[in-house]
Amino acid sequence: MIRKTFEHELQEVKDDILVLGSMVEEAILASVEALKKRDIEAAKNILIADRDINKKRFEIENKLMILIATQQPMAHDLRLLASSMEIISELERMGDYAKGIANINIRMGDEPLLKPLIDIPRMAQKDVDMLHRALTAFVEEDVEAAQAIPMEDDEVDALYNQVYRELMTFVISDPKAIERANWLLWVAHNLERVADRVTNICERTIFIATGELKEIKNSDDEFWKQHNS
Amino acid sequence: MALNNNFDQKYIIETRNLDIYYGSFKAVAGVNMRVERNAITAIIGPSGCGKSTLLRAFNRMNELYADTSIEGEVTFSGQDIYARDVDPVEVRYRIGMVFQKPNPFPKSIYENIAWTARIHGYKGNMDELVENSLRQAALWDEVKDKLKQSGLSLSGGQQQRLCIARALSIKPEVILMDEPASALDPIATLKIEELMQDLKQNYTIVIVTHNMQQAARASDYTAMMMLTNGESRSGTVIEFDETNIIFTRPKDKRTEDYVTGRFG
Amino acid sequence: MKEIAIVQGFENNLDSRNRKGIIWHVLFQASTIVGIIALIALMLNVIDSAFGYVAYEARMDPDSLTVDGIPVEDQSKDQLVALLQSTLSSGAYNKLDNETLFVDRSREEVFQLVVERIIRPKIVQVWKFWPSLTRSDEIRATVTREYPKAELDFVSWLTYDFVTRPQTSEPLTAGVRTAVLGSLWTILFTILLAFPLGVGAAIYLEEYASENWFNRIIQTNINNLAGVPSIVYGILGLAIFVRALERFTSGKMFGIVNLTSENGRTVLSAGLTLGLLVLPIIIINAQEAIRAVPRSLRNASFGVGATKWQTVWSHMLPNALPGILTGTILAISRAIGETAPLVVVGASTAISFDPSSPFSKFTTLPIQIYQWTSRPQEEFRSLAAASILVLLVLLLSLNASAVLLRNRFSRRF
Repeated sequence: MIRKTFEHELQEVKDDILVLGSMVEEAILASVEALKKRDIEAAKNILIADRDINKKRFEIENKLMILIATQQPMAHDLRLLASSMEIISELERMGDYAKGIANINIRMGDEPLLKPLIDIPRMAQKDVDMLHRALTAFVEEDVEAAQAIPMEDDEVDALYNQVYRELMTFVISDPKAIERANWLLWVAHNLERVADRVTNICERTIFIATGELKEIKNSDDEFWKQHNS
Repeated sequence: MALNNNFDQKYIIETRNLDIYYGSFKAVAGVNMRVERNAITAIIGPSGCGKSTLLRAFNRMNELYADTSIEGEVTFSGQDIYARDVDPVEVRYRIGMVFQKPNPFPKSIYENIAWTARIHGYKGNMDELVENSLRQAALWDEVKDKLKQSGLSLSGGQQQRLCIARALSIKPEVILMDEPASALDPIATLKIEELMQDLKQNYTIVIVTHNMQQAARASDYTAMMMLTNGESRSGTVIEFDETNIIFTRPKDKRTEDYVTGRFG
Repeated sequence: MKEIAIVQGFENNLDSRNRKGIIWHVLFQASTIVGIIALIALMLNVIDSAFGYVAYEARMDPDSLTVDGIPVEDQSKDQLVALLQSTLSSGAYNKLDNETLFVDRSREEVFQLVVERIIRPKIVQVWKFWPSLTRSDEIRATVTREYPKAELDFVSWLTYDFVTRPQTSEPLTAGVRTAVLGSLWTILFTILLAFPLGVGAAIYLEEYASENWFNRIIQTNINNLAGVPSIVYGILGLAIFVRALERFTSGKMFGIVNLTSENGRTVLSAGLTLGLLVLPIIIINAQEAIRAVPRSLRNASFGVGATKWQTVWSHMLPNALPGILTGTILAISRAIGETAPLVVVGASTAISFDPSSPFSKFTTLPIQIYQWTSRPQEEFRSLAAASILVLLVLLLSLNASAVLLRNRFSRRF
């Protein structure tokens, strides 16, 4: 096959992105787990792991740049490399959300959780599940899956709304709980954003496979529509 | 004196303060360059900056052109190839060459390789050697049924691969390629580049190209040549580094201008 | 023509440019046509002389030779030999017998001798081809009126017999075999000398000689020698081959005692002289041919570590060979038509026996033609015309065989 060296290098980039993805998945799950257990040490470890995520992202970015500079990718190859740039930056942001959750955990200090966590771990689980499938769809350039996954964003949004209302009930009954409720609200918000970024990855996957650049569904709009009405 | 290949050395060809003259005109000046074993080293630069002249100095092909001479040193595995007791024929045997225009001998495909092997006293199984050489050059499947046909009956890209097979047949250490794909279409060009990637497992390749995309795609190291601004206008290597660095963050402004197409 | 576009600052001069083109086109065509006309005129002139009516009288009436009612044409070989013996003087008869024993001669040859020596037809008048065609009645009338005893025949001077008969002084029985064989022998030695020497010198000059003043002088001299008048080579040949190397060229050195030639005026001397004459031409052409071998092929060969000799032998020579052969063909064509140097070297003008060894005396076709055209009688002009046709055919067939040879080499790939 002609250009098998280049093909090989493209495959390497995809593998690297999968590695980065699994690092992010792990960070998200671990941050929520640490929060649930109020484990400050584990939270600190997540901050350290985030540095590795950032490092990995720069490493992939450099590889991508060299490939673009030296291999003169065209058409599909160009879409793949340019979109990979975008995807690794999305993944890094997701890593930052996990870091944010770990930071909240650390800042909460000795204070106990306002309530036992039920829906937030479910959100995290859903996020990671979507992210995992989105990255599989990216590697396999599976357009159908890439179009289906963003629809599941609604489930995450629904969980978020549920957490929001629940926390509001706490705040109304006990205004002194406002700070602790706010912390959890931030955690839920971070997890909601992760799902939005999964949607972005799916958009890129469709672009790589078909060349069409379009927004699948603006979940933010729907979220605010619900809250303003 | 026979040239020995000292495999311990990381660098197979090294030049020290190499100047190359055409008559009294200094065409290439002060080149210090090290060619790493089992890697692909590209020499790029604008037309007329002495790329091919430098390449031909590596296997003493320059001597076939009237009135050329060198100063400084070129070593192959640590031995000075311009030393008095070194026969240029021996140098060209260890350091093969592929030219810009495919130039198979006007003989059959089989004879192109067989003749080359025979003049070096090959006594083994000729059919086997021909097949192996053509396989290494990724040409065997295309020509195995027409070995008796003229080498000139092949397409340009196939002819060039035949020339590579011919060069490989005598098992050189280094293969110099002087713009090997400039007369070929893009697909044939990519085939040659892919072939180079396969060959670098067993050979060291130095390639001159004025297609810098080719250097970017195919090489591990890149030497950037340019005419100096002095009175003599000699060509010299202004930057020599990993290809990845040359094409993403060159140190010399002139290299940057050249690879970004802002040269001149 | 309609003007398509006028751009400011440019004159629309296409018409005048085209006119100039047409004028040159016509001029070039005219030169070609002049050349063709000249060639056709030459051929017509030769053909005009080579065919036509001949009126001849027999010095002895053949009817008087009839024996027992058998006409002389039908008599047996023995009868003819007896006739010769009785008619000719014993000296003349013995001389013929000495040249070739009558026992060894065929009946045809003996009959030929009878015609030559006894009947001895004598040409009284010849006519050229064109008058023979257009005024045959008038010619017949003239013959009947002026030469009542003469016979009138339409003859082709160029016949198979003309090519195979030796030279004689009788126009009706003269042939060019001696001259054709002389030319072939001469050319053989020309090629043997000039081809290997010329190609060898060309290889040396192109591949080995370095660029210095000595080799430049040699090169200039070769170029100039190619333009030296051929008579000069004749004088050179006379001095070197005929005189200085006489022991060699006459064959004495090899213990050959030659009955026909005691000096160096032999086929060998002539061949070597012509060889010297064409040597510069062959060298220059071979150099051209070697230089025309693409540089890429040299590179290919040196690039795989071939030595100079391997490169020259396996690539330069095979690829230059068609060109070298073309140059050689041209040189040989020139040599075969040369007259002047051979006259100087001492070609015989009248010999009737074939050259049989390098040390034979000889004549060549151009010499023969030269000699016949300088005779006053009309019939010898016709012989010369016929010889010219033979020479042309010889030349063309030599060229054709060389072209075939060359194509065989260039077809290899």
